Amino acid sequence: MRSEYIWSIVLFFPLLIIQTTVVPFISINGITPDLILIMLVFYTVRNGQVYGTILGFVYGFLFDLITGSLLGSAMLSKTIAGFIAGYFSNENKREIYFKTHIFVLIVFLCSVVDLIINSFFSSIDLNTSIVLLLFEQGVLPGIYTALLSALIILFYPKRSIIEN
Amino acid sequence: MLRSLTKVWENFKEYIVLVVLIIVSLITLSLNQKPAAKKIKSLAFGSFATFTSVISDVFDIAGVKGENEKLRKFNAELMLQVSELRKYGIENSELKQLLTLRDTSKFPLIPAAIISKSLSRSQNTFTLNAGKNNGLRPGMPVINDQGLLGVVNSISDDFSIVQTLKNVDLKLTVKDERSGVEGIMKWNGSELAMVDIPKTYDIQPGDRIVTSQLSSIVDIPIPIGMALGLSKVETGMFNEAKIKPYADFIKTEHVFVISIVESKQKNGLELNFYYRK
Repeated sequence: MRSEYIWSIVLFFPLLIIQTTVVPFISINGITPDLILIMLVFYTVRNGQVYGTILGFVYGFLFDLITGSLLGSAMLSKTIAGFIAGYFSNENKREIYFKTHIFVLIVFLCSVVDLIINSFFSSIDLNTSIVLLLFEQGVLPGIYTALLSALIILFYPKRSIIEN
Repeated sequence: MLRSLTKVWENFKEYIVLVVLIIVSLITLSLNQKPAAKKIKSLAFGSFATFTSVISDVFDIAGVKGENEKLRKFNAELMLQVSELRKYGIENSELKQLLTLRDTSKFPLIPAAIISKSLSRSQNTFTLNAGKNNGLRPGMPVINDQGLLGVVNSISDDFSIVQTLKNVDLKLTVKDERSGVEGIMKWNGSELAMVDIPKTYDIQPGDRIVTSQLSSIVDIPIPIGMALGLSKVETGMFNEAKIKPYADFIKTEHVFVISIVESKQKNGLELNFYYRK
């Protein structure tokens, strides 16, 4: 379990490199998938809600520091996303939650929450329709992230997920 | 007492952890402008950017061949333009001499490559492989061959972070090159727009929008984009002009930082966004 803690932090760095160098190439009209959120949901479903909340906080903190975005915005959004993902962490149901379509839905939910909180902190434009804002800044990138998570979870060895 | 506390912790630990971390996050949000926070940030991205630059170089090499071909064509087109402009340049400098105007057309350019991009709907930033050691300072404009991309926001010794135009925290004074009307341009999370412009202002679709000399951040005319037309014409007191940026923020890999000689007088102004002593 302890090595799990370390691994989730260590893996963050190569993933952030991919997020900032490779992922921009697969962006569609400025919409990019969030690999860090996929990893956060993955580890949270595996290790529990408290773990996920703290991990979200750490990921958000590191993300804000390294990318130069508003310090605290990703911290807050990822903490809450980790907390929500934690509701799907149950040892007895882990196998179900790691089924591709269920995992995709969890990622989608967490991603939408993460993006909406983040966008509220950085772009409150009262003139823009709130529904449009939620759709453009929350739902669309959320769908992209969820679809990418489907690919990842499909090719991830199921046994290693469940045994852990 | 201890037992009841333990019981509370056992029953509500998820919520306690969440509330504590949210409070810490909110406190951190309020510390953004503190010099210590900025220092930690520049240290963190500086160290991380060293690794990112290696990966970025690999991708760079892969794209070099195609880019070279494009650049050769672009070079040929530019050569034709240059010969035309040279004629006007000579004429212009002669006229300026006659009018005894100061020549402000030459600005030193610092080349840099984008080694990572943090793309989000509201806070787009680039990391450049040039920093304090290359002469970069916060507030310097970043351009490519298409136009303005953003402004240097934080720097470490060898790297820097650029706030792009697609960042809600960057607001610039811009003007319509044709009519000369000025306004504040900002990114609202989904589009670039000149906001709160009086209804009497003349802005037509297709007008070229450039940075204004009134700006305390970028006070030289750098092309930004094309006006797409006015919105909110029927309602409200002010209009809003949407702008389509010339620069392609996704594809851009190499940039130039304009090393504008800082005006001490301007830097001393309290309202200057990049106020630095």
